[in-house]
Amino acid sequence: MAEIEALYRQHGAALLLFATAISGDRGRAQDAIHQVFLKAIQNGNVSEAINKKAYLFACVRNAVLNDAKVQDRNTPLDIDSAWFSPPYRDYAGEQNLRRALGGLPDDQREVLVLHVWGGLTFSEIADLLGVSSNTAASRYRYALAKLRGSMSAKENSCADSRR
Amino acid sequence: MQIPEDEQFEAYLKRFHPIAPEPVPTLSVRHPSRRSPLLGIWLAAVAAILVVIGSIGAVILHVRSSRIVVSNTASDAAVSERHAPSEPLTMRSANAWLATEPSFKTAVDDLAFRSHTSPLPQGKLSAVAVLSKEKIRL
Repeated sequence: MAEIEALYRQHGAALLLFATAISGDRGRAQDAIHQVFLKAIQNGNVSEAINKKAYLFACVRNAVLNDAKVQDRNTPLDIDSAWFSPPYRDYAGEQNLRRALGGLPDDQREVLVLHVWGGLTFSEIADLLGVSSNTAASRYRYALAKLRGSMSAKENSCADSRR
Repeated sequence: MQIPEDEQFEAYLKRFHPIAPEPVPTLSVRHPSRRSPLLGIWLAAVAAILVVIGSIGAVILHVRSSRIVVSNTASDAAVSERHAPSEPLTMRSANAWLATEPSFKTAVDDLAFRSHTSPLPQGKLSAVAVLSKEKIRL
């Protein structure tokens, strides 16, 4: 029990972001995480996993995808509510990042979130998604380039509007 | 191979920390449901102990109060016997008493039997009365 609570404190935020990034809805993402940890409490199967962090991300992904199958709907990405606590109260930067993430293709956004905020290696991401490490790494590079481009474009447009 | 610009951008992204999720309800709900049978047993045991202690206390209080009533009654009777004459007997009051009485014997008898609440049965005499009838030779 204490181990699961520690895992929840340590990885809960990244798991929620990942679930939000792939489900599109923050409420469903929250439900998926609660469902995963509830099962972990009941079954105690997390302690048997060798890589607990990767195992939790896989469980959350399965829970979100299963829920999407049951609901049979394609929810648009919820980018109206905050995803991050911004540094130095940079709320504009947070909103900019959130919108740029929303503009990425699903597979690239998934890899970017897993690597940057989930802290998973490309090898772990490849195992999780069932792709090769090279594919995971290339998706990440594309995602990073697109994100930087859209964020800088947004910042430039904001700067132009200020002038 | 990442270029340094990518690393800098990645470091910038990591400065944004994802918002923590709400606590899992089951982590807080599961504890009371697991403890509820034990808690019920403890409450029942405490209630039973309190009932036993209360009944013992009630019995002790009842016994003590009855003893106090009995002792109070006995002491009251003793006091009433000792202080039956409402006024203390002084030389003056004794002289006044003797002046009103027809004889010394009658005065002593009246003083002796004044505190008796229950009258003597018919045909019975008090010890003082018997002694007063006898002729004592000195």
